[in-house]
Amino acid sequence: MATIEKKTSDDIQSLTSIDKIIHEPARLNILAHLYVIESADFLFMMRQTELTFGNLSAHMSKLETAGYIKIIKEFVGKKPHTMLKITGKGKQAFDDYKKQMKQFFNEI
Amino acid sequence: MNEKINLKEIEKKAYRFTFQDGIYDIMFGVLLVSFALAPIIRELIGLGYILFLAIPAPLLLTLGKKYITTPRIGIVKFGLKRQASYKKFVTISVILVILTVVLLILTITNIFPGTFGSMLDGYAIPLIIGISTIIGMGVFAYIKDFPHLWIYGVIIGLGIIVAEVLYKTVGTPLDGIITFGIPGILVLFYGVVILFRFLRKYPLPKEEIVNGNY
Repeated sequence: MATIEKKTSDDIQSLTSIDKIIHEPARLNILAHLYVIESADFLFMMRQTELTFGNLSAHMSKLETAGYIKIIKEFVGKKPHTMLKITGKGKQAFDDYKKQMKQFFNEI
Repeated sequence: MNEKINLKEIEKKAYRFTFQDGIYDIMFGVLLVSFALAPIIRELIGLGYILFLAIPAPLLLTLGKKYITTPRIGIVKFGLKRQASYKKFVTISVILVILTVVLLILTITNIFPGTFGSMLDGYAIPLIIGISTIIGMGVFAYIKDFPHLWIYGVIIGLGIIVAEVLYKTVGTPLDGIITFGIPGILVLFYGVVILFRFLRKYPLPKEEIVNGNY
């Protein structure tokens, strides 16, 4: 009985320790895209995730504040352009999230 | 393992998304029509017809991607694996061109064994170029992960061989029009339909989104 209670408590702890920034579906989608490519601009991310301009902006800001993505300002021709790239911290957080989720569902 | 499969799918979807504009199809359509019209243009402007063959299709691809596709879907840079595939393509292309040239020299200098040489009877050169084109485009399609290129490779490669057969029966320019012109117009039409669908689905966004300044 004590073992079962201990296991349940561990499961709950593992679930509560899940990174809430990544756990949100839209941000998970954004991070998954940036994880598999080198970098992309805002428009490409909008098309891929099918999020609205406002929604994507808000989620990007949260991911940037957490240090999971970085904004690279560059010039395409003479126009300023913003590229988005996942950071090392973002990649690590994404890997940890995958591991945690997998572990949690395996244990259920 | 499911996560890995999904991430691969996301990458593949993002990559193939950049081909949904029909520009490559239009480019190959124009290239095929250029092949068909080449003998007529050669009659009109002489050797300058080579420029007519070499310039329009790549120019269309470059301008189309720059002024139609990118403003609508944005810019993406893919990982090292995709970038490495271009190096592979260049290496394979160089090997294939060298092999083709060697085979052509062997054919022109009549080094092929007697029976085999007489079997080919004037078809050796188009056969070599045709098969090289099919193999080359097949490899390009695989590396670039764009299956349409394989179909266009077969159309061009077979076209080169069939044009030689038709040349002896219907003559020029009808041989080129049948082998390249008709498929070219069909491919061009297909590309234009895809492009119109793309333009309707992805209209030009607001300036601040294009510049990515959010």
